[in-house]
Amino acid sequence: MRLRISDLVNAEASLVSRRCWSDPDVYALEKRGIFGRSWLFLGHESQISNPGDFVQAYMAETPIILSRGTDARIYANVNSCTHRGLPVCRADHGNTKRFICPYHNWSYSVEGDLVAIPQEGALCNKPDKAQLGLKRVSRVESWRGLVFGCFDEQIEPLESYLGDMRFYLDAFLDRFAGGIEFLGAPHRWVINANWKLPVENQLGDVNHGAFLHSAIIPREAQDLIEELGLSVVPRPGHGATFRLMPEDSPVDDMAWGMEGLGGMFGGDEVQEYLREIQAQAASRVGDIRARMKGLTYGIYPNLSFLWSNTSFKVSHPRGPGKVEYWSWAVVPADAPDHIKKILRTNYSSFFGPGGILEQEDSEVWIQQFQGSNIDYADDRPYYYGLGLGEEKVHPELPGLVSVTANEFYARHFYARWRDELQAVEDT
Amino acid sequence: MSELSLQTTPEQQRALERFYHYEARLLDARQYQQWLTLVSPDIRYLMPSRVNVMVDNRQRGKESMISVERELEGEDSLGCPIREESYLHLMVRVERAFKINSWSENPPARTRRIVGNVELMAQEGDALSVLSNFHLYYARPGNADCIYSGQRRDLLVPAEQGYSISRREVVMDYANIEVPTLGLLL
Repeated sequence: MRLRISDLVNAEASLVSRRCWSDPDVYALEKRGIFGRSWLFLGHESQISNPGDFVQAYMAETPIILSRGTDARIYANVNSCTHRGLPVCRADHGNTKRFICPYHNWSYSVEGDLVAIPQEGALCNKPDKAQLGLKRVSRVESWRGLVFGCFDEQIEPLESYLGDMRFYLDAFLDRFAGGIEFLGAPHRWVINANWKLPVENQLGDVNHGAFLHSAIIPREAQDLIEELGLSVVPRPGHGATFRLMPEDSPVDDMAWGMEGLGGMFGGDEVQEYLREIQAQAASRVGDIRARMKGLTYGIYPNLSFLWSNTSFKVSHPRGPGKVEYWSWAVVPADAPDHIKKILRTNYSSFFGPGGILEQEDSEVWIQQFQGSNIDYADDRPYYYGLGLGEEKVHPELPGLVSVTANEFYARHFYARWRDELQAVEDT
Repeated sequence: MSELSLQTTPEQQRALERFYHYEARLLDARQYQQWLTLVSPDIRYLMPSRVNVMVDNRQRGKESMISVERELEGEDSLGCPIREESYLHLMVRVERAFKINSWSENPPARTRRIVGNVELMAQEGDALSVLSNFHLYYARPGNADCIYSGQRRDLLVPAEQGYSISRREVVMDYANIEVPTLGLLL
């Protein structure tokens, strides 16, 4: 019997089949229908500020070199030689004039054009090098320094793809006069889980904190998060959760960065620095966004931003049951170096492969994948119906808004996921 | 660190190894509260991130071209180390281990550490710079077993139980991070 996507997710996406996580055929469809047709995060412009700079990236399983050309433009090429397919770049990041294949030394410019075939001197028929450059990613666009690529020439512009998610991203990104900076190479954590659960976790699942993380997060702190917390779906598939702080909140309660261990224990200078940023927030992003204290953000399909611990994360699939989870610490680009070094611990203390908190998350992601392989329970799809239909429009906030216990962020994600797979399942 | 270790007396070497064996036994026996008494309140506990760097052509032919240090994004870099911790972090980790809802340790991992290659590299006043290597076998229900391998670069000061750890940098041997967590007490 052939699997139909319509059997996996019901109309309101309140029931989601275990096979969505475990089935190899579903994964093959995801690669075509989602990763082949969405804007995928490649990197941040701060990582490639000078001509010749490059970083490695992935679009699902496809290795990509993101580089700054000698013309100062941004290029994204598949990291695979046109001659025999080897990667032509092995370093995580760096600056170079050429990418060279180790096998026969075919060499490519930093823009991805083929510039030398050492063997051709001995031959009469010279290959047309203009046709043999690295395979270029069809579309590359950036917004506020975040660079995305898409394999599909026909995709809508990045700005409209992000839609009202930009309003929420700007609440963070636009707080900093000098923009943000990604620090160093990503931490690459291989987890035996399906790529969608880390995404879902960062898309709006605030309320697992009270339970899964109760060894670390005090109940009173979690209660306060849920009391002030709002969950927003600006466009199906994207999501933002944050606390909307009361207008009379003390600056230390509102300011970004204060609640991480670096902000808490990093000394007076760091705290003064964070207060300074908050003092300018209203003039930079407006009153309501100045009062936003973010929690989790998700950009469809697999980019996450954890505002509270200031980390960008990408969930790169490696088959249905494996994910290469990349994460970076993010800091204000114009902060002094010694302050950047303190602020990066707001991420690494609790999150990433060495973090105190995220080891609990990775554990449940692995266990959920194991549960998703229980064939006998195929008639017990996962229940995503919490808060069904309770989301509403808000006078000041774009999108649909609700309390954080409402799982509508996930229903919208899986409804979009279902529709996009259905669009390709018979093609 | 290309120099030979300091010449130690058998007693000095024995004292260092005795301390590390005791520490390993405490950690494998999950006696983390006792382990914490081996740690100085002003400890810096570090784990650099390990990255793939470009070969620097000017270094060709020299040992520095492929040095381990080039691959580390540590506390002095503007990259992001995996861990940069104080006594407070370690205390939170230890307390967490004794809560019934610390799910990634319930049931707890079964570990076995072998610590070796203990070398006293320098001595400044009381403080000893000591290198050691470890292999750690890790088994937990629900996960595939795995091995942790790394080097520890310690600063030890004499104390009641032999020494007190006032600085530890753990250099892990990994390409991608394939272990369930790098948050163990290593």
